Amino acid sequence: MSELRVLVIIPAHDEQESLPVTLDELRRAAPGVDALVVDDGSHDGTAEVARRRGVVVVRHAVNLGVGGALQTGFRWAVEHGYDVGVQLDADGQHDPAYLPALLEPLRAGRCQVSIGSRYVRRSGYRAPAARRLGMVLFSGLVSAVLGERITDTTSGFRAYARPVMEVCQHDFPRDFPDAPLLIALGRRGFRLEEVPVEMRERQAGRSFYTLGKSLYYPYKNLLASLMVLLQRPAQP
Amino acid sequence: MAFLSRTQVITAVGAVLLVLYVLDLVRRRKLSEEYSLLWVICSVVIAALGFSTPLLTWITRTLGMMGASSTVFAFGLGFTMAMLLHLSVKLSRLGQENHALTRELALLRHELEGREAAGPRAPGTVEGA
Repeated sequence: MSELRVLVIIPAHDEQESLPVTLDELRRAAPGVDALVVDDGSHDGTAEVARRRGVVVVRHAVNLGVGGALQTGFRWAVEHGYDVGVQLDADGQHDPAYLPALLEPLRAGRCQVSIGSRYVRRSGYRAPAARRLGMVLFSGLVSAVLGERITDTTSGFRAYARPVMEVCQHDFPRDFPDAPLLIALGRRGFRLEEVPVEMRERQAGRSFYTLGKSLYYPYKNLLASLMVLLQRPAQP
Repeated sequence: MAFLSRTQVITAVGAVLLVLYVLDLVRRRKLSEEYSLLWVICSVVIAALGFSTPLLTWITRTLGMMGASSTVFAFGLGFTMAMLLHLSVKLSRLGQENHALTRELALLRHELEGREAAGPRAPGTVEGA
């Protein structure tokens, strides 16, 4: 392993069933890598199961959503001198075995954000029609704006270099850190690169995305993307 | 001055009572001065429209309204919209502040617990300061 200090950030909300599986898997796949669980206002034993495995746990008093949990993780990573923060879902969708592949572009200095994408190569993942339409729309939008092909804007399996985390700890989309985030980062001059991964069905617990949110999602993301484009691009 | 219609009197008296109530809320510190401003302006304008027939008929004719009561309603609605938008903006800011505080609190609590326990350090922690 190279000398990059890597922190795996695991946002977790009521994930006591799947979190231990994810943590054990992470330990097997990447034994030397530090992990931080951000317990996002859970009402179950999420924090407890993580602590029992010797992982650092930071707890939100109320639920802030994935974006807020990641921001806390970024802040932690920056304060504790990490070079890279990797976002890993607690529900087991992301296979930690891809960690080296995800880190490789950052290590090589080719980009500041690497995204584990389900669509760079044909993967087994199939989404419902409405969601597929949204994915095509948003990946088209992001690719057009950034001038490079981004196929998976909704992937939560990403690695962020320190300069990106320094920005994101203060400025981050609140509920869905997807298309608008990627556009904003690209416009700040950060380079993005996709890495092909396979994702699995969630192991247990329930998804962050409910019916109400699935209606709000396209509205919010479209609006936020347009607003990002209307704002003056900030310097990194 | 023309004779005041019954609706005008009711509107005007209602508006005056509203001003008094808003001011009383401020006096009892239930409402901050900042938020009382829009309410007071709203009530004063409505009261003025209610008590002054010439002003009301002039505005009604100038704006091409169908009736004097529509003018009063239009002003009331305008203020209601302004108030709601104002509150939405305030609410958004409160949400952001709340969000930031929650994150800050989580980190502080973790640090505090770490100091209190001072026991075995979890992997990944670096001694802070």
